[in-house]
Amino acid sequence: MNPKVSDFISALSDWENVPDTDRQARENLKELLAGLSRRPVPVGSLHRLWSVGELSTQIALAYFALWIRQWFRSAETGDRAVMETNLRVALKICQQLGYLRGALMKVGQTLGNFPDIVPSEFVDTLDRLHFDAPPMHFSLLRELLRSELGAGPEELFESFETKAFAAASLGQVHLARLQSGETVAVKIQYPGIARTIDADVRNLRALLFPLRLGKDWEYVRRQVEEVHRMLQLETDYEHEAETLRRARGLFNSGEGIVVPEVHEKYSTKRVLTMEYIPGLLLDNFLATNPSQELRNQFGAKMYLASLRMYYAGMNYADPHSGNYLFMGDDRLGLIDFGCVQRYGDEEAELIRLAEESASGRPEVLRELFRRSANLDDVDFKNQEYVELLTQSHKWTCEPIQHEGPFDFGNVEHLQCGIQLVIGLVRKRYTRSHPMYVYFNRSVFGLRALLYRLRAHVDVKTLHRQEARVPSGPSLNG
Amino acid sequence: MSALTLFLTRRVDRVILYEHAHISHVKVDLQTKVATRQRILTVAARLFARVGWERATTRSIATSAGIAAGTLFNYFPSKEAIAVALISDVLAKAKEEFEERRRGGESLEEDLFSYIWTGLRYLQSSKTFLGCALETLLSPLARSSPDHPGELIRTEHLETVERLISCHHRVRQPLSALTLQLYWTLYFGVLAYWATDVSPKQEDTMALLDQSLKLFVASLGEEASPLTEASSLREKTNESQG
Repeated sequence: MNPKVSDFISALSDWENVPDTDRQARENLKELLAGLSRRPVPVGSLHRLWSVGELSTQIALAYFALWIRQWFRSAETGDRAVMETNLRVALKICQQLGYLRGALMKVGQTLGNFPDIVPSEFVDTLDRLHFDAPPMHFSLLRELLRSELGAGPEELFESFETKAFAAASLGQVHLARLQSGETVAVKIQYPGIARTIDADVRNLRALLFPLRLGKDWEYVRRQVEEVHRMLQLETDYEHEAETLRRARGLFNSGEGIVVPEVHEKYSTKRVLTMEYIPGLLLDNFLATNPSQELRNQFGAKMYLASLRMYYAGMNYADPHSGNYLFMGDDRLGLIDFGCVQRYGDEEAELIRLAEESASGRPEVLRELFRRSANLDDVDFKNQEYVELLTQSHKWTCEPIQHEGPFDFGNVEHLQCGIQLVIGLVRKRYTRSHPMYVYFNRSVFGLRALLYRLRAHVDVKTLHRQEARVPSGPSLNG
Repeated sequence: MSALTLFLTRRVDRVILYEHAHISHVKVDLQTKVATRQRILTVAARLFARVGWERATTRSIATSAGIAAGTLFNYFPSKEAIAVALISDVLAKAKEEFEERRRGGESLEEDLFSYIWTGLRYLQSSKTFLGCALETLLSPLARSSPDHPGELIRTEHLETVERLISCHHRVRQPLSALTLQLYWTLYFGVLAYWATDVSPKQEDTMALLDQSLKLFVASLGEEASPLTEASSLREKTNESQG
């Protein structure tokens, strides 16, 4: 049974320390959040939209609420009351929205709002943090393909499976056979989803409006803008096709990493036709009880794929289990390139600094914090702040500095990372360059998957082989 | 025959097919009549698109078609009737395509989606004037009467919808007026949205139609239960044999 939001809220120690004047507001908030899960939804597809990822939504909401409260902690009682009212209204509005909840989940991640629950639950939750479009029946697909490609599936393909074989975050994927006989996967986006997300993000900005006077507002605004920009890119399959082509060029056949080929003739902004890659998803692969050696091999490939792309100026920013295929011949298939953050010169410079900082030289680390988290001289006098950032940096670098294979199956490593993020959020140390929104997500996502795989990977050697400063295309490219 | 069908049939009987009623006394051969009717429709469609629904008058249509205003009234009693004839002709072609494309095995939702969307696709060229004429012709709030110009479209459409429902669902009792009104309101809403939809490839209308039909089919729960696959097939066979 899924835990209730109120359970999570109760589990947060900070809630026990709030002053009495806050208790009523706290109760109201608990009721409101708990009410989210009881709200009846009349339509089947909407119900699916609502219920899938319910737990992760609720957790994100609960932490989001907590995070907002932190901003007003030192405010006068009157200001806090205003804030509580704003928050109540904001959350009520949130109940009325569809995709915003998805956007909110991503913002939740942005701010490091991870639940401090046991790692396996955390991993499952992280795994489900994605949009979920309503299912599409064949008649709708047929008309969509007709309007996108100028003809229906019967005319375009030799054969076309009417039932989807996989759900994509914004639509669904169908198997088809081209006239040439090649089997392809056709990813089709639910109509109008891109602009729905746009509207939702506008609403998200409205929800965040009460924060505008806070001293870190500018960072929040830039982070939300980055989330918006990435969400827009995720809905643009032409952009994804371009990323696929670039990524495909990064791997040679001997490396056992497969990126599907795009069939341009059958692809548009809303339809993406790719080479079909047969393979198992992570859960199914684990069910075959693979040997430790095989786990390690796949783990190394997953890490290598991310690293190679990272150094090519492309951050594989949504590493969840649905994006990897474990193929029968021990090759790894990468199948979703919608959420790939491309680095420009500014980001490349930050990465160069981060590489250099792994040496542990204090002046480099200081410069990294100054530029990545905008720490000023006053902030540097805050020992606690600097220590938390230093520990986080150390955690990020730990596998890289480890001699020999690093054991990603180690629970303590993952828990430590989560605790550090929670510590930073609780102290409101959430300022960062917008690139870290997705950088952090890719680091946690990949480590969560490697944890499930219980893989041992020689990260240090991989880094030594791959390291170079990215010189990617501009962020808008 | 269900109560709804009887109800609709009676209404169809009472619908005055203006063109037939008025031209019966005109002594022109059938071929000329058909050609004149078609000319009026072609000219009217062009005028509606060019000058707009409001500004196009029966007089200007008659002048453009090279006939006297009185002659035009022998074919169509009003501008609305011309619009209805235009829409009906287009929808009849759309329905043919829809029937041809049915593979068997579709759900009710799929069938309704195909039926309506194919209609919208065919109506694309009439979109500009249909948007303006919609309220006059098809509004669910308009008082329903057999003399109402949009009644023919409404009746034909609802008959098809009822047939599709009976292909997929065992109707426990005659569909209530409320159900029909709900359907027509949703359909009208989709049409009204579509008429002014500026989203690329009208994807917003597509999503709205999809969601509206999910809502409608879910609302049928109490009046009709889905047929099993076997009985659905049987019904379809009977239907095609009948």
